[in-house]
Amino acid sequence: MPTAVLDPETLRRHVPDLDSVEPCLDSGGFKSVYAATVRGKKEALKVLGVRRIIAEPDLVDAFYKEQIARIGREIKALRECRMLELVRLGSIAPVEFDVNNEKYIAYSEEFLEGQNLWKLIILHGQPPALGELVQLFRSLLRCIRKLWEHGYVHRDIKPANVIKTPDHRRPFVLLDLGIAFSVDETNLTFKPEDRMPPATLRYLAPEMMQPDFRQHLDFRADLYTTGMTVFEYAAGRHPLARDSDDLMRTISRALRQPPAPLKQHRQDLPDSFCNLVDGLLKKKPALRPANMAMLFQKLEAMA
Amino acid sequence: MRLLAQHGASNGGKTTRGLEGGYIDGIIYSPRDIAAEKLREQLREATAISPDTHLLFDPQYYAGHNVVDPEPRLGRLDTCEEYGSYFRQRRRRELESGTSVLRDDIDDCLRFQDKLNLSGLIGPNILISRSFDSVEAVIAKNFIRLTGAACAKLKLGRPVYATLAISREALLDKKELVEFLTDVTLLDPPPKGFYVLVASRNEDARSDIFNADVIAGWLLINYTLSLNGYAVINGYSDLLTPFLGVAGATAGATGWWSNLRAFSLGRFLPAGGGRLPVQRYLSKVLLNRITFFELNQLRHRYPNILNGLGTDDLYPEDKGSEPERSQEVLQTWEAIKSLNQDLVDADVKKGLKLCREAIKRAGAAYDEIETYVRLDPKSNRDHLPAIFEGLRLFAESAELEGTAFDAD
Repeated sequence: MPTAVLDPETLRRHVPDLDSVEPCLDSGGFKSVYAATVRGKKEALKVLGVRRIIAEPDLVDAFYKEQIARIGREIKALRECRMLELVRLGSIAPVEFDVNNEKYIAYSEEFLEGQNLWKLIILHGQPPALGELVQLFRSLLRCIRKLWEHGYVHRDIKPANVIKTPDHRRPFVLLDLGIAFSVDETNLTFKPEDRMPPATLRYLAPEMMQPDFRQHLDFRADLYTTGMTVFEYAAGRHPLARDSDDLMRTISRALRQPPAPLKQHRQDLPDSFCNLVDGLLKKKPALRPANMAMLFQKLEAMA
Repeated sequence: MRLLAQHGASNGGKTTRGLEGGYIDGIIYSPRDIAAEKLREQLREATAISPDTHLLFDPQYYAGHNVVDPEPRLGRLDTCEEYGSYFRQRRRRELESGTSVLRDDIDDCLRFQDKLNLSGLIGPNILISRSFDSVEAVIAKNFIRLTGAACAKLKLGRPVYATLAISREALLDKKELVEFLTDVTLLDPPPKGFYVLVASRNEDARSDIFNADVIAGWLLINYTLSLNGYAVINGYSDLLTPFLGVAGATAGATGWWSNLRAFSLGRFLPAGGGRLPVQRYLSKVLLNRITFFELNQLRHRYPNILNGLGTDDLYPEDKGSEPERSQEVLQTWEAIKSLNQDLVDADVKKGLKLCREAIKRAGAAYDEIETYVRLDPKSNRDHLPAIFEGLRLFAESAELEGTAFDAD
């Protein structure tokens, strides 16, 4: 079900402090994103349309509450984990409004110049060099470490959620903590037993498919998706999924199929780098090297 | 990959000769078998041979909890007053009542070792005797977690290894093992590494340890811990030492009695008596020991049975290849050290390939020597399929694609 895209004028009517709003930049799944000017400053306005992503009317309220809670967690996590490699909050706190009897929530984050990695991958440009890949790897590891220090697992690291920026201090910035998991807080998923775990299926850590994953989930799920993201950016193709795959096939590959080694796609990259990426793609979390100091040390040696 | 002497009763200078000959890189001392004062003396001697000697002390805390017998053979653990500063016979109720008992015992144990001239300190733990899904396993996990915390708190200045002692039965449940490893690889703060013990039901049961699932589980522990940055020291690993090295082990250990070549709580139980075992020769090509008289029968018919190492001279032909009993272990150490050099590679896949070739060579050697002699049951080839299958299962569970075992 497509996310509702609202016109700029409607948004200006409902969201205070907006000077101007440009047409929708991006939409999909839960949200649509707009470039907006707020009190003279450019920000990314994120708008969530609840009714469009849920079919049964009597579940709308429950689902709406879940989304409000998720946005609350996202904002809390971003406040707690301020760092260059993570997107920062904007000046618009969550605003709830109705348009044609449909519920919406809008809030803002900083506007980042640059392009997300997914768009760069589909452009099929020059394959990124080792130095850039190491930078990306390090940026994501720093985010994971910081989030885990505060008890969070991002759960949605993927090329579309990483922006490559022209700012050398923060060459890669991770977005969207919308489905972040907290080991210290209550589960937010409404009727979890009836639903797939909140995640992007193509980037789903295998342990997330276990019915009791909430008992055991830790940052190694993010290491897995980091491996996926770095692999896909380096190789220009997803390590497992194929465009022709249906849902079951995608899940089956995530659970059972070992990915081809990165070296097969990028023979110019050193074995040490390829092995590190491949190591994060192991199905069992215990088999992914999780010693952060060791990972950073290995990356330093390659930089 | 270091090879350490697993210390036990009747040392009689064996470890000194092992260090002087360069057959071992260090010693894991057994307090059951040496008084504290004598231990300090031996530590001084060992350091004098080489300052790089790796000296460790297994506190054998598990014996105070897991040995259930009205008259346990605790030796110096019981009689040496100094060991009383950390060695306690704890009941399960005490250990599961909270973490303060565990913290106190860990602190006391590490503080005791800190006064000794050791290269690293080993934390106390109990043995997981049946299953990873048990109260014992929870207690063991707490010991491991708190050992990491204690080394951060006590600022010991030397590496600290947490003891992970598991029965071979517990290792048979692969799913539970993987879940356990998932937990212990996420310790914060972590210890430097682990001292791993795999307990058989008794030290003479060759089939207990030479079992494919047990070997695969033991290898997986080494692989998982080492790839997460932990040093892994295996006690009583004997002939499996090189294979554990392939999986990432930092060290393995073996000693002169059968109860120092396989870990079992049996050594803390009343002795059953019996004769001294016949001396054996560890043949690299067979990946096994044969009796000295089998060696004597084979050394000309099948010269490859000999390792071609210096300690072959300890089995003189003019004496029917019978070595002095006290020197048998030197031959074991030199042969295992040489196997480590032959098989262990920084690249686990290369190491597995070398292991596969070594097992194939051993099979071919058995084919030939069995036409000459009828081998003693302990000398036969029963270990080979277990090691082969154990390596294959390990490669599978460690998600190692493209290994030499893929085709089998």
